[in-house]
Amino acid sequence: MENHRNDGGSKLGMWLFLLSEILLFGGLFILYSVYRFQNPQIFHLAAEALNRPLGVLNTLVLLTSSLTMALSIFFLKKGSPGRSLLFLASTLFLGILFLFNKYLEWTWKVQLGIYPDAPRLLERERGEVLFYGLYYSMTGLHGLHVLVGLGILSVMLFFILKNKINHNHSVPLENTGLYWHLVDIVWIFLFPLFYLIT
Amino acid sequence: MTPEGCGLKTYILVWLGLVVLTGVAVSVAGMDLAGWSTAVALIIAFLKSGLILLYFMHLREGGELRFLRWMIPGVLAILFLFTGLTFLDVAFR
Repeated sequence: MENHRNDGGSKLGMWLFLLSEILLFGGLFILYSVYRFQNPQIFHLAAEALNRPLGVLNTLVLLTSSLTMALSIFFLKKGSPGRSLLFLASTLFLGILFLFNKYLEWTWKVQLGIYPDAPRLLERERGEVLFYGLYYSMTGLHGLHVLVGLGILSVMLFFILKNKINHNHSVPLENTGLYWHLVDIVWIFLFPLFYLIT
Repeated sequence: MTPEGCGLKTYILVWLGLVVLTGVAVSVAGMDLAGWSTAVALIIAFLKSGLILLYFMHLREGGELRFLRWMIPGVLAILFLFTGLTFLDVAFR
């Protein structure tokens, strides 16, 4: 079936969406900086209680998934869908690994009685309540983006298998890549703000 | 190589750069830089984002969407403006 495509338009649309995503997370980053400004000492202590090695591991996982994503697009455009699929599947795997680590991290915190509105958390100082509120909402919103990304990656995997996207029509995979890289960039800022600055 | 895509080597080098910068960020966080640790961490985060935007997201190459290169700084400027305005309120309350 012949259909009319506008590759430039698709990409422009994706970029506009991504710019709005920057502002969405940006609002939360402003909130973080204000609360941090008001409670510097408590944010400092609370950040030390987060699992830094797991944060570093997740950073490396997501950075590597960005590489495999870029390589998947590279090979699809070069006309080798086999390798493209291999790297796309690796990206999918790394995304799942990221969420699994996040699951472990959250579970440990919940077991300690630290989760939004938890009685044991509410007994602590206001700054700490704010810190964990931000921690759960910001890493949660980011995790949701990773989850959505995994869904889109799976659809792309199916499309390549069905030859619906190939070296002649690679824009859907390229746009998926743009989204995935932006999710990586958001983590690049979340990681130092929550795990490193102590 | 096609003009619209960079080579395999570039991608791997960019990834290595990102990993090295993460290492630098983690080791710098262990040092006592007084009030500078936040600034250093953010500068490293901006450098990493720049690498991803320019190479993985192909902003370096231009093409028909060359103007997008200026939209990222534009959005960041809006964000900084709002951060600044917020702090004008919060800091002097």
